Amino acid sequence: MGEVAVVIKVMPTGVDVDLETLKNNLKSVVPKGIELQGINEEPVAFGLVALMVTIVVGDVEGGTDSVEEAFSQVADVESVQVAEIGRLL
Amino acid sequence: MAAEKPHMNLAVIGHIDHGKSTLVGRLLYETGTVPAHIIEKYKAEAEEKGKGSFAFAWVMDSLKEERERGITIDIAHKRFDTKKFYYTIVDCPGHRDFVKNMITGASQADAAVLTVDAKDGVMDQTKEHVFLSRTLGINQVIIAINKMDSVDYSEERFNEVKEDVSTLVKIVGYKPDDINFIPTSALFGANVAEKSSDTPWYTGPTILEALDLFTEPEKPTNLPLRIPIQDAYTISGIGTVPVGRVETGVMKPGDKVTFMPSGATGEVKSIEMHHEEVPEAVPGDNIGFNVRGVGKKDVRRGDVAGPADNPPTIADEFTAQIVVLQHPSAISVGYTPVFHCHTAQTACTFLSIDKKLDPRSGEVLEENPAFIKAGDAAIITIKPTRPMVIEEVKKIPQLGRFAIRDMGTTIAAGMCISVKTK
Repeated sequence: MGEVAVVIKVMPTGVDVDLETLKNNLKSVVPKGIELQGINEEPVAFGLVALMVTIVVGDVEGGTDSVEEAFSQVADVESVQVAEIGRLL
Repeated sequence: MAAEKPHMNLAVIGHIDHGKSTLVGRLLYETGTVPAHIIEKYKAEAEEKGKGSFAFAWVMDSLKEERERGITIDIAHKRFDTKKFYYTIVDCPGHRDFVKNMITGASQADAAVLTVDAKDGVMDQTKEHVFLSRTLGINQVIIAINKMDSVDYSEERFNEVKEDVSTLVKIVGYKPDDINFIPTSALFGANVAEKSSDTPWYTGPTILEALDLFTEPEKPTNLPLRIPIQDAYTISGIGTVPVGRVETGVMKPGDKVTFMPSGATGEVKSIEMHHEEVPEAVPGDNIGFNVRGVGKKDVRRGDVAGPADNPPTIADEFTAQIVVLQHPSAISVGYTPVFHCHTAQTACTFLSIDKKLDPRSGEVLEENPAFIKAGDAAIITIKPTRPMVIEEVKKIPQLGRFAIRDMGTTIAAGMCISVKTK
């Protein structure tokens, strides 16, 4: 069956969002069965910073849907997009 | 230091259990990507246990262990070098629900290796992946007819499978004569890095040699500018800042850009990438840009920016070629699922199902069929329920592909053949 590593790009609603709080809020909503590996900050433009969230999900039905849905409900999140994907050996 | 080699993203595709991961492991092993000390350590351990020839299997295990320590995306996107290129290798997820990620966001592959089990031959996912790789705009493909050890390296069996795969790839527009079909055993390393003595009848290149026959893909800078908008912000002291990835063309400060479907037009004041001002943005760049003359409400996620004198195309209707990946029953005229196309998500109605195609031969099986179902390929006519940007795949391929989703699953993938504007 296998597992898939995914990097999800989470954009905050603006430049003044507290990123540490946002990281904690994202961590707290990761659905069961999905492993959170880490969150990196990636500067975008004009003070906007994206959070790049690395997770591991099963190579199964539903794919990244549940985690995308959960992240998009978090306060101060503007958008959620899968940036990188690859099956693990 | 030598100049950096050109970079290629390589997707490894194929039916489940046809040896994708083993081939990835073998490529990493043969190209010395796995650190020498790890190989030595495992070799020594293996020899101690009297299993010297098992070094490769040990390497596969070590890669599995490695992921428990590190950030897995580095392992999912392994780098290896050939003489001409450096490759980042992506083993594509098997489940269909990841198809939308492959189409709409995740990094684009420049080339692909399709693995086909010599014993099983063409299977459902082989068919799907061939169609998807074409939809994803992957024009350079190698076909590894793998697990040749399981058919005693039979030339006859190789030719049978080659024939079937040729027929399959032809229908989506690949030319089998331009593709290398290679008999491999990823497990035993046959024809991956070195020619195998088990296949004396095969005179073509190994996988590594064939990878060096690929050509470096050109950045689509000559196409018209298209930037699907991910988000738009108002930043105090700066103004309206749309954010997105440049798919095609080049944008510079001073350019006049139009956002479609809204039609708002403004002038690019400055462009930033990684918080640094850049003089121009090219395909692949994730940027934010400040536009004068456009309010935040005039631009939103799913819009596409393009030159004011060659703006993105709004489809009133479009025709498309699709392949139905999964659907619990049958799809007929009137069906209105959500189309995921670049950053847009738009409900679209099936106006007509024009042709059902034989997914193996590409021949028209039926004109105006009453319905299509899982496994079918078809030409359909679509009407978006609200204005939507899509481009003909032959003009701007990056903006011409889409995934169709309904009830939380990916129903189909497709590409736009022609657009009817209002």
